Amino acid sequence: MTELIEHTADTTTGPVVELSMQQALNRALHTLLAENSDTLVFGEDVGTLGGVFRVTDGLQKTFGTDRVFDTPLAESAIMGMSVGLAMNGWRPVPELQFDGFAYPALDQIVNQVARMNYRTRGAVPMPVTLRLPSFGGIQAPEHHGESLEALFAHTPGLKVAVPSDPGEAYRLLLQSVRCEDPVVFMEPKARYWDKRPVELAEPTEPVGTGRVVRRGSHGTLIAWGAMVHRCLQVAELAAEDGVELEVLDLRWLTPLDTDVLAASVRRTKRAVVVHEAPLTAGLGAEVATRVTENCFGDLAAPVQRVTGFDVPYPAGPLEPQYLPTIDRVLLAVQRTLEY
Amino acid sequence: MAEETITFTLPDLGEGLVEATLLDWEVDVGDHIARNAPLVEMETTKSAVVIPSPHDGRVVELHAVPDEVVRVGAPLVTFAVAAADGPRAGIVGTVPEEESRPRRRVRLTPPTE
Repeated sequence: MTELIEHTADTTTGPVVELSMQQALNRALHTLLAENSDTLVFGEDVGTLGGVFRVTDGLQKTFGTDRVFDTPLAESAIMGMSVGLAMNGWRPVPELQFDGFAYPALDQIVNQVARMNYRTRGAVPMPVTLRLPSFGGIQAPEHHGESLEALFAHTPGLKVAVPSDPGEAYRLLLQSVRCEDPVVFMEPKARYWDKRPVELAEPTEPVGTGRVVRRGSHGTLIAWGAMVHRCLQVAELAAEDGVELEVLDLRWLTPLDTDVLAASVRRTKRAVVVHEAPLTAGLGAEVATRVTENCFGDLAAPVQRVTGFDVPYPAGPLEPQYLPTIDRVLLAVQRTLEY
Repeated sequence: MAEETITFTLPDLGEGLVEATLLDWEVDVGDHIARNAPLVEMETTKSAVVIPSPHDGRVVELHAVPDEVVRVGAPLVTFAVAAADGPRAGIVGTVPEEESRPRRRVRLTPPTE
């Protein structure tokens, strides 16, 4: 059995508490609101209700209605207001309630948030962190299971962060909100209830670094968000067959950590990238290209992609067939082994 | 099974109506009621409507009697419902179930090198 990498090197020392991802994000927001009076949290139902996933629970009570507040049901206005607030020195942390409802706000995100800093030659930065509950896996209705990371990663000026577990969620959110650039912070809904010990400590690794979650020598599984957990399951099962798989959690999709990708694949010689989004023009294509550009001579097999299908995200009962299954990932690994 | 109580308050039954008159209860204290089964008939200035039960549970208290005028937001009925033992989903979706032993059909052949 391969060892699990303890990720303590990533943090300074802090108290360890058992938290779900929802609670870890809540703690991070609490820390951020307490440390900087310019930080504002707003969105649909984030105030009185505390968010549909309880991520903003209790924040309005602690920090008041001027700093944590409900907005009208108008995503474009939420992001437009973020632009104005950021221009005037505030540090907005808006929430768009679900991935599919980011589409009405794309104009503000792409045309304003992402390029204001560039347009003004750095005079008007946009320290906006858009919290976006994302991806599938909770059998929600239409528009509640979308994977928009390729869209945001393809928009120059935005950074994209995707945590995979509660500890990562805590640290990545602290980094995102403190960052002077706009960050789209995609929270994997399927992992919201996942509970594990979290060290409440400062992140020490720079923005844009991926991490090795599990060491292995026969191939590398590359993922982000909920698919990291899926890949860890696959690695555990592969080990029963004598195949030792490395698991990479990219955690930042822009900037993308090419170094960690290349270093891993040079050692393991095989790469399988796993994501929930459809195959065509998905971020897996970018990952595969970077691996090929950097490790072409080391590869024992072409890079494989295991993804959602090129169809609109399906209704809840079909999710288990749409999302990458353990067997689909294992098959892709086998293709690289027997190439 | 552990139970918890949930009090249902009178919702706004129309466009900004502030109160409604209770016409008749469809349940008694102690009754078990299924979710979406008829709970109570209320009359507003516009119409009489039957409100379906928002919960599956036992009726433990009725907070108003027939002909009483109930303000929007005032307690209407208290249910005892089965307490959820795991984490609870939000307003949308379900909590994914974690398999203790993930199932597989595909077996791998280790590389020979």
